[in-house]
Amino acid sequence: MSAIVTIADVSHRFGSLWAVRDVSFSVERGELLGLIGPNGAGKSTLFNLIAGALIPTQGEIVFDGQNVSHWRSHHIARVGIARTFQIPKPYRQLSVVENVMLTAFQRERSISRARSLAIETLADVGLKDYVDVPVTALTVGLLKRLEVARALAMRPKLVLFDEIMAGLTPTEVATMTKFVGGLPARGITVIWVEHVLYAIMKTASRIMVLNRGELIANGEPAEVARDPAVVKAYLGEDMNLA
Amino acid sequence: MFVGVTHQLSGRRALQFFPRRGTPFSVLELLLLIVCIALAGVGLPQSLQDVAVLTFLWAGLALAWNIAGGYAGLISFGHAAFFGIGAYTSTILFVRAGITPWIGIWCGAVLTGAFGALLALICARLRGPFLILSTLAAAEVVRIGALNWASLTGGPEGLSIPPVPRLANMVFASKATYVVIMLLFLLGVYAITKFLEGSRYGYYLFSVRDDADAASAAGVNPLAARTAAMALSAGLTGIGGSLFAQYFLYLDPTFVISPEISFQFALLAAVGGLGTAIGPVLGSFLITPMSELLRSYLGSQAAGLHLVIYSALLIVVMLYFPGGIAGALARLAGRRNKP
Repeated sequence: MSAIVTIADVSHRFGSLWAVRDVSFSVERGELLGLIGPNGAGKSTLFNLIAGALIPTQGEIVFDGQNVSHWRSHHIARVGIARTFQIPKPYRQLSVVENVMLTAFQRERSISRARSLAIETLADVGLKDYVDVPVTALTVGLLKRLEVARALAMRPKLVLFDEIMAGLTPTEVATMTKFVGGLPARGITVIWVEHVLYAIMKTASRIMVLNRGELIANGEPAEVARDPAVVKAYLGEDMNLA
Repeated sequence: MFVGVTHQLSGRRALQFFPRRGTPFSVLELLLLIVCIALAGVGLPQSLQDVAVLTFLWAGLALAWNIAGGYAGLISFGHAAFFGIGAYTSTILFVRAGITPWIGIWCGAVLTGAFGALLALICARLRGPFLILSTLAAAEVVRIGALNWASLTGGPEGLSIPPVPRLANMVFASKATYVVIMLLFLLGVYAITKFLEGSRYGYYLFSVRDDADAASAAGVNPLAARTAAMALSAGLTGIGGSLFAQYFLYLDPTFVISPEISFQFALLAAVGGLGTAIGPVLGSFLITPMSELLRSYLGSQAAGLHLVIYSALLIVVMLYFPGGIAGALARLAGRRNKP
């Protein structure tokens, strides 16, 4: 097993606030890594750093043997890192399939083949009835699925999911959880940020907990759930669950 | 393989009346083409030839503007600078160095394309009103520069092209020839636009226009896409400027680099329908003849009244048809197709 991505002492500062501080970890190929933490813990910032939307103030990010710390988003995407956005960012004037075709172009250069790949990916996430629908007609839940389809249509090596369950019905959560759980078997490594804890605890092979920009736990889901530091971060000083 | 073929076929339905993105031809486009060829072929009276020349030229220029404004989302009010630089480049090369406009036009296109790319690199990070104001200001800088660099541009007195009809001079005795030239320009820009909107590069522009962050996460370089769109749009506008100079045979900075000309490009495209190929053409076909006729009928008795009517029409279109004429027609076609 070799690490697909290694984060070494990465920090990011917004003004005087360290949103992410001295975070180090690595992800193995085929792993499904869950990343949790309270609001404002720095999860999305960490994602933006890996995806190239932000450049780390300090530290190094190595993906597939290349130092990508200072690469911009579009370069990062081209080497095989896909991402979703916490608040969906569809192309409003395009149809559903066209939204997905744009990422499919990373794999298929011709319009017709990109379209086929996009339709295939839409069917994967259960959107095959919406192919030629204007994207503005989709509900929040469907937009979340569209985000997932867009990320997967480039056939990435690593995908970063940012709260793809928020706003979904329990049935949708169950379907999506199963779907995400099946990705490592298809050769896609996943880092997954989620607030719907039961979904992620059940599916992830490893859980990392971020609090105030720092990594406070890293291990098996069951082990992390019992960690006093994690309980304290989530529930506050004086709670005692035992 | 099989899947790809079926989807391609299902995407290309029977001949439709209204053009859809990605389909090669529609009935409306063919009808318009026949009308245009007929107009260029039959001997129109002199005054109407003027109108035809301007209608075709403005349609081509509105289409060129639309590549930046409609497809890439770069709303520019500075395209008069490209128009002027194109016009001046071919004219200066011809008048001062004796280089035929047939070559000068391409020099103008390259120069304006480069200027467009430069402007995009500086301004394309700006959005909305900030982009509009900075492009407007850039065009004013070019206009004032042209006014003051008199040794090159002739300053406020302008430049005249000797009215010697000859093929090598790209000056023609008959206005009918200009009608044909402007129609060829329009068809050329239309073909480029159609190619663009059916290609991967067109999609790159749409994605950057709709959400640059998402586009970037999909591997599209937003700055490169915007720069390329602006350069192409500017280069085509420069060609239009050269053709305009060859038709009027006279240039001065306030005439060809005025904000009014920039507004004209944007308005024709917006009235017709932003981000569609047919929109700017419909916009020019409706508005250019009307504004020319209004100007000639009302010009003497009620100076400026044509502008009032023109503006009122624009307000109505903006309020009730935000998708422009093309948007309204597409909605109509969609309604008719529904059971």
